[in-house]
Amino acid sequence: MNQNSFNPKARWDRFEPEKPGGFNPDDLAERIEVLAYFKHARIYPRAFTWNNKEYRIDAVTYNWQERLGQALINYFSVNSSGQMYQLSFNNSTFRWQIDKIIS
Amino acid sequence: MILHIDMDAFFASIEQAINPRLKGKPLIVGSRGNRMRTVVCAASYPAKALGIHSGMPTREAFRICPGLEFVAADQAKYIWTSERILEMLRGYAWPLNYASIDEFQLDIGPHPEPLKLAAQIREQIYANFNITASVGIGKNWLLAKLASKLNKPDGATLISEANFSDILSRAPLTKLCGMAGKTGQILMTQGLKTCWDLYLKMPGYFDENPGKFEEAGQNPDLPKSLGHSYTLPKPQINHRVIRAWLRVLSEMVGERLRRQDLTSRTVHLWLNFPQDGYFAAQKTFSIATNDSYEIYLRSLKIMARIPQKAHKIRALGVTASHLNRQTYLPLLTEEKRREALIKAFDRINSRFGDNSIFPAQVILTHK
Repeated sequence: MNQNSFNPKARWDRFEPEKPGGFNPDDLAERIEVLAYFKHARIYPRAFTWNNKEYRIDAVTYNWQERLGQALINYFSVNSSGQMYQLSFNNSTFRWQIDKIIS
Repeated sequence: MILHIDMDAFFASIEQAINPRLKGKPLIVGSRGNRMRTVVCAASYPAKALGIHSGMPTREAFRICPGLEFVAADQAKYIWTSERILEMLRGYAWPLNYASIDEFQLDIGPHPEPLKLAAQIREQIYANFNITASVGIGKNWLLAKLASKLNKPDGATLISEANFSDILSRAPLTKLCGMAGKTGQILMTQGLKTCWDLYLKMPGYFDENPGKFEEAGQNPDLPKSLGHSYTLPKPQINHRVIRAWLRVLSEMVGERLRRQDLTSRTVHLWLNFPQDGYFAAQKTFSIATNDSYEIYLRSLKIMARIPQKAHKIRALGVTASHLNRQTYLPLLTEEKRREALIKAFDRINSRFGDNSIFPAQVILTHK
């Protein structure tokens, strides 16, 4: 049976922010500090500090990964006090960032 | 016996798992952030119930349901989830076919309790990813895929010898793979309304058409074609911009050919005009290539065949076919220089990520 019949690596989702310029909650890419623990090769973010405000993470609703060149980016959609955020961790630069506010 | 797993509204379900606020709501996933100028990539079941479907312009979807939720697609998370599901299914050690991003097939042989197995797989998917799948089981791929569509979402159907006539007589012909388009329409006009009608007319149909992967199994490592298409944010008449998009698509096709060590002799170009239908043509060249720039030049040659130049273009696609393994070694100095340049290009993009370096012409697509 054919085990190589589908290759999902084709990219078609070139993101175009709807409101370019100014504050765009869909395209923040701001560096943040994150309190997380690493266990059994998995990452569990617990809290993050953004603009000098601390956000406790109540739940991680989903996580996924993407390889960008040699870097592996770990993404997390998290819930903090009823608001959803997307955070990411670059395992090559060890940088955490807030990607967007999920509305 | 084949077990076909079809994820339910895959992209929309993942977005609902990410953002629980969207659960149970009519939701569409569009191919980019500009919600009114794109097409529906995926629709949740509440949206499907309103008549919204994949491929529909989002403007029309919002006209049907002004309160529709919209999420811009992010393919990384769909690919990651799909690959994790594939990995999970590999654990079953049966022959596995990766049919598409949201479809998987297991050849489970003469399994004593296929429905129990289907329930186990569905539970495992839900526990790990918080999304649902529908499972169909049949003696071949065609019947298994049909079965997966009959109890959606989050269901399982077994088509066995015992219930064959009963299930097929309740299954509309259009549910059968390959019957949703013109073929189905023609057969419907001949009075074939259900899959059972087709079986009565052509008893061997379900045996003679066992399914795709038997057909594709001759050379599993060599794809038939590789292509990319793109719907522009708005119809475009500026030929410089259209050519820049052709370049983008040619770069993507070329990059994939090189990654798989393939070359192509035939380029297929497809253009969609908002008013006047579409243009599609292909040309086979004597020399095979995987150079993106050469693919781009070949696409331009095909595009030159369009009789009237002043067309607005809505969507375009470039496909490479007649694929073969790379065997040609460059001899001329210019060819060697070109190959070194392409390799350097690929190395940079593979180290720093896609589009870290790109031809200057591509910048026109960023506006």
